[in-house]
Amino acid sequence: MTNVTIRVQRFNPDVDQKPHLDEFQIELTQGKTILDALHEIKEEQDGSVTFRRSCRHAICGSCAMNVNGVNMLVCDAPLKDFVDRRGRVTIRPLPYLPIIKDLVVDRTSFWEQYQRVKPWLLPPDDVPEKEFRMSPDEVKALQDAEHCIMCGACYSACQVVAMSKKYIGPHALLKAFLRVLDPRDSAPGERLTDLDQGDGVFRCHTIFNCIDACPKHLNPTQAIETLRKLVMKRQAFEAARAQRQQSLDQPISVE
Amino acid sequence: MYKTTGFVSFFLRRLTGLALVVYLFLHMWVIGSANAGEEAFNDRLDFFQSDFFKLMEIALLAAVVYHAFDGIRLLIVHYFDVTDQRKSMFYAVFVVSAILTVVGGLPIFLYMLE
Amino acid sequence: MMRIFLLQRFSAIALLVFLTLHMIVLHYPPFHIDFDNVLERLENPVWKAIDIAFLFVVLVHALTGVYMVITDLDRLARYRGLITWISVAVGAAAFVYGTQTILAFQAP
Repeated sequence: MTNVTIRVQRFNPDVDQKPHLDEFQIELTQGKTILDALHEIKEEQDGSVTFRRSCRHAICGSCAMNVNGVNMLVCDAPLKDFVDRRGRVTIRPLPYLPIIKDLVVDRTSFWEQYQRVKPWLLPPDDVPEKEFRMSPDEVKALQDAEHCIMCGACYSACQVVAMSKKYIGPHALLKAFLRVLDPRDSAPGERLTDLDQGDGVFRCHTIFNCIDACPKHLNPTQAIETLRKLVMKRQAFEAARAQRQQSLDQPISVE
Repeated sequence: MYKTTGFVSFFLRRLTGLALVVYLFLHMWVIGSANAGEEAFNDRLDFFQSDFFKLMEIALLAAVVYHAFDGIRLLIVHYFDVTDQRKSMFYAVFVVSAILTVVGGLPIFLYMLE
Repeated sequence: MMRIFLLQRFSAIALLVFLTLHMIVLHYPPFHIDFDNVLERLENPVWKAIDIAFLFVVLVHALTGVYMVITDLDRLARYRGLITWISVAVGAAAFVYGTQTILAFQAP
């Protein structure tokens, strides 16, 4: 039976001037996740430890935190994999965001940027009577971007976000990529024009932190590179989209 | 601080980039002495070709080579779908720039010893 | 923004060629540089043209780079217009000064 030292960054805005680390001893057992350890601390050792969590199986995106310097979903992270050489696990809130309390951060800028890219589908005026049809290739081109769970791990890992909260951020760019490439969307031109702004898609410096941080193994960097190419040939892309939307209700011929 | 290979490459890219901008304007000022005629040019160039500045030239070469290959890496990322190879490309840039710095720095170093 | 990105990218590609040439011509094998051996090369108008083009490209790349570094910062982003004009002014002044220098290499 081994013990692990869990170091949790604490910050109570009513009392503390700046964050500090608290240490807790936790028994390391098979199958225990970092979230389980946090629950154990909260229930048995210090009820004031504050953190967000909900579903416990990596789909709600609430429990993104910074463990040993890396952003991840703690409900998805086995405790034994993150014990460092000195038998410790260090848990901090998502970096570069204002801390509300302990491990809870203020995600206002995250949601504001998300709203800005109009994350919903803008369908054409003539909606087909039955259903829209997409070819397998068109679905493949979306690179599973719809799997994003909005946990904020990529946003808070991004070095550009760290320097400027005006930058759109990888999460919103990935969503914009999903909508721009969707053949059912009728306004790719407007979307691409907005992404061409000073804090848009060209502000990315290809640091790859977003890929490293994503718990769903998505690829915002590749999406951003694709968007850059589309911004450069916006008019041709708009024309091709208008053309494509003529046949949205037609069956797809698979060769 | 979010320390990944991507962050290190970004930091070095910025550092070498800003250093090279400073160097560029110094360089233009040094050569600008040619406007004042041949003698002024030769005098200033003599000063900037002393042993110390020869050594600094090797550092300059390292910065240029790193910045260039980091840029080539970004070009490759832009035009090809290779984000999965980001770590190995990062290390490749380091190895290539180290080799080129040694290969290019050696003649300068030997010339300095003469 | 796309324009700045493209300026930076194309100047980068041009620099790969120009800078390699510049390094090989001026530093390998290493020799003592003085007015005469620079003049020897620059007497050829083609070399003068190459050097002026090189100067232009390197200034574009340097200034777009500095522009990106500055406008990355939240606090300075609101002066974006001013920073653009300062960059253009600095670039133009440096280009005139540098071209003058290149043209100063005349046989007496």
